[in-house]
Amino acid sequence: MWQRPSDPLGVCWRSMVALTFLAAFTGSKSVQAAPPLHESIDRLIAAGTPDYATLAAPLASDAEFLRRVTLDLTGTIPTAAEAREFLASSDPEKRTQLVDRLLASPEWPRRMQQVCDVLLMERLPQKHVPVADWQKYLHDSFAANKPWDQLVREILSADGSDPATRGAARFYLDRDGEVHQLTRDIGRLFLGVDLECAQCHNHPQVDDYKQSHYYGLAAYLIRGTLFNTPDKKLTIYAEKADGEVTYESVFDLRDKISKGPQTTLPVLFDGQVAAEPKFKKGEEYTVKPDKKVRGIPNYSRRSLLGDAITGPDNVRFRRASANRWWALLMGRGLIDPLDRDHGDNPPSHPELLEILASDLFQRKYDLRGYLREIVLSQTYQRGSFRPADAPPVEPESFAQATIRPLAPEQFAWALLQGTGMLDAERLAQKDKPDLAAIVKKYRGVENRFISLFGNEPGRPEPGFDARTDQALFLANDPLLLSWLQPRTGNLADRLTKIPADNPQAVADELYLATLTRFPNSDEGAEIREYLATRTADRLPALQELIWALVTSAEFRFNH
Amino acid sequence: MNCHYACGTAAHLSRRSFLQGATTGALGMLGFSGMVQASAAQKLASQQKQVVVFFLKGGVSQLETWDPKPGTDTGGPFQKISTSAPGVEICELLPHTARQMQHLALVRGINTKENDHGKGAYIMQTGYRQQPGFEYPYLGSAFSRQLNPPDSPLPGYICLGAGARAQEAAFLGPKYAPLALPEEGAPQNLARPASLTEQHDMQRRLLRQRIGQRFAPGRRDSDLEAYNSSYEQAARLMARSDVFDFSKMPAKDEERYGKHSFARNCRVALRLLENGVTFIKVSHTNYDTHSENFNFHIEQLGEFDRPFATFMADLHERGMLQHTLVIVMSEFGRTPNINSKLGRDHWGTAWSIALGGCGIKGGAVVGKTNEKGTQVIDREVNGGHLFHTYYHAVGLDSSKSFYDKGRPVAKADPKTDALQEILV
Repeated sequence: MWQRPSDPLGVCWRSMVALTFLAAFTGSKSVQAAPPLHESIDRLIAAGTPDYATLAAPLASDAEFLRRVTLDLTGTIPTAAEAREFLASSDPEKRTQLVDRLLASPEWPRRMQQVCDVLLMERLPQKHVPVADWQKYLHDSFAANKPWDQLVREILSADGSDPATRGAARFYLDRDGEVHQLTRDIGRLFLGVDLECAQCHNHPQVDDYKQSHYYGLAAYLIRGTLFNTPDKKLTIYAEKADGEVTYESVFDLRDKISKGPQTTLPVLFDGQVAAEPKFKKGEEYTVKPDKKVRGIPNYSRRSLLGDAITGPDNVRFRRASANRWWALLMGRGLIDPLDRDHGDNPPSHPELLEILASDLFQRKYDLRGYLREIVLSQTYQRGSFRPADAPPVEPESFAQATIRPLAPEQFAWALLQGTGMLDAERLAQKDKPDLAAIVKKYRGVENRFISLFGNEPGRPEPGFDARTDQALFLANDPLLLSWLQPRTGNLADRLTKIPADNPQAVADELYLATLTRFPNSDEGAEIREYLATRTADRLPALQELIWALVTSAEFRFNH
Repeated sequence: MNCHYACGTAAHLSRRSFLQGATTGALGMLGFSGMVQASAAQKLASQQKQVVVFFLKGGVSQLETWDPKPGTDTGGPFQKISTSAPGVEICELLPHTARQMQHLALVRGINTKENDHGKGAYIMQTGYRQQPGFEYPYLGSAFSRQLNPPDSPLPGYICLGAGARAQEAAFLGPKYAPLALPEEGAPQNLARPASLTEQHDMQRRLLRQRIGQRFAPGRRDSDLEAYNSSYEQAARLMARSDVFDFSKMPAKDEERYGKHSFARNCRVALRLLENGVTFIKVSHTNYDTHSENFNFHIEQLGEFDRPFATFMADLHERGMLQHTLVIVMSEFGRTPNINSKLGRDHWGTAWSIALGGCGIKGGAVVGKTNEKGTQVIDREVNGGHLFHTYYHAVGLDSSKSFYDKGRPVAKADPKTDALQEILV
């Protein structure tokens, strides 16, 4: 294995040993003979690349792991105090204990709410359902550890008429119930297939995607229609008793070989088509539609969609879900891109994807348990550092951790934590910790970050964008600078209270609070020198130091 | 045709100046070189090729602008008028522009076969039809990459009025994305906070950079690079904040151009060109006239005509037209058929644009539509032809490719070529 020279972050080989030990320990407790998932992950990732043992980066240091997993599971960075405690601990199980603490924290459902909001709504603007209701629905779901398949079924069956599930109806309603947008989005998000090109003809590049697949999915939704209650207060996603999809390939039309428009009943891909009940004319509705009354058909196609998608027969859902949640933590899917699951684009590690998908299915879509296994794997815990003389690795080998830009929400909350604003808030709350109150107070801040750093509405998963206006905001806007003003308990306040003759303590606190690690000797010296010239204006100098650290590339990325 | 720079190449001049600026050491590294380079940038501005696109959003009518058909059942109520270019007639709604036609060529045979706003705008600004899963760079980003001197303190592509998207740069990267100027002003957060001295601002930036330099090696990643370069660009921009101080624009110009926001944007565009900005897009909106087409065009073109013509005249008078390409485009034209609401609908089948200045033969006309404007009958062209023509006009080779992760992407559609008829 290549030698890592002077990496400022350092490596903790001990923790790798500890982890292996722990894996064996928890494995022995398992009822089944099968090894725990994280061991299978490591075995199959290693098997997927020749010379993996020599190529793989060493495990991340404790500091790097702490920062990474905290960002991934709670959406912000650890406090300086947490960093000190974790780094000082010699408990061989400390990584597992940390993971379990984070997964039990109130920040976990908040983080998952943010992730799912962006994932499922792609920052589309609010139309018919208040965003707050939708976010509360997501938050409550993850706080109760609702199974992922149940959440998806609820979203796909909510029509907005029941106040209790109104939030969940945002998925349909804020897309205006538009059948093509929904067909495409449901395919991408829950089936791992982007069928857009199959709307007008069989997919020209992907043999597996047929026009009949597109319309089989669209047939569940074609009867949907928006209904406004007479008081105009609510828009509901109603359904008619009639309406069929029709399609004709534009290629066949062009080549004059079209046999005319075709239709299909609802069906997922090449699955079984169920016969539909027939009703006499005039008896199609339980509640007849009227201008003032929302019709309810005797037979609802849409009510079948949730079960069709999440049911045991549809393997695509568990594959797509396992892959997508893997990608959240690993920066890349085993199938890449996430919505191109088809025969000509095999997974990088086919057997692993099978195991991940069946694990998620067997654990009844318990996402918390599933993500816990991934972060406990050595694969997740690889370092992101690679010396210039080390052989390069392909990203699909997962032999080295990826560099992932913080999402706008993560960046906002990491900055609030890095500058110690959250410490100050918690201190002010004394013995009554109330995350919701803090979240509410900083909602405006979060929204500013989303509008400045977020992607355009409706554009899924585009790459990283670093623009001049963002840098100007971070450099000059009063918002971030206001967090550098001393306030009881925040970082600037804590630093000013450290005696001027102890610059090393200042350097330690600065680095732990912002970059979740101790400074190395050069970095400590750099800070001493910076402060030595500024005895007359120490506070501005400290503020400049905080600014330089929280705007550094090391802070901006999860690594 | 090649660019003629005083010293051979743009890179040469700016690199030499950069070295001179480097006596201030770290200043240059941080992007503060802009301060010491201001005069070099101005000198460069007199040589450098520049581009202004006027984008008339919604789809301006070709019949009420560049290709009038009075006296036919599709022609509408307006007459055509003669212009300063012999034999070239345009709609009477553009009397001021008519007096600048010696500088402008017309392309009257455009058929983009696209009647959707977004897709039409995409074709006109990328030269290609939209493809799922792949994004072509917009003209502004492409030219910013090719024409903007590498060490220019100013962004290569600035948008005035609505309509700038970071994604316009596509695979060229965020460095070439448009900078949108807010209504009536400089970019936000351009001023250094009052609490920071210039020296301390530089010190904190140097420190920021050093922390990043320790992190980056061993983590080769283009995202890291993009993040760090955004700070350098920001610092360069701050150093030239004088460029964005529009309060000093001569008051008498307000009389000549007009007071509304489009008129102001024309003046701002002129000032930005004078300061060396490479590519400017000025948007003017409200041309989507499905009803009341004629009243709306009286109103909108009434707003467009005088400031645009004044802008052309000013460019000419300052000698800037020789190196500045000006294009007036839209996402499509409007139907010859007049609908029941006296409107015209979307029409990508037979329509026109105007362009002039650098590399363009003023007063030339290429392409022809039939008597009622329902069809192109001579020299039919699409977005690809237009892109080749823009490239040729500014002296760039449109047969070359960009490379996206090693994959060649032709700068202009190889199935098309330039309109030599209107090139100098």
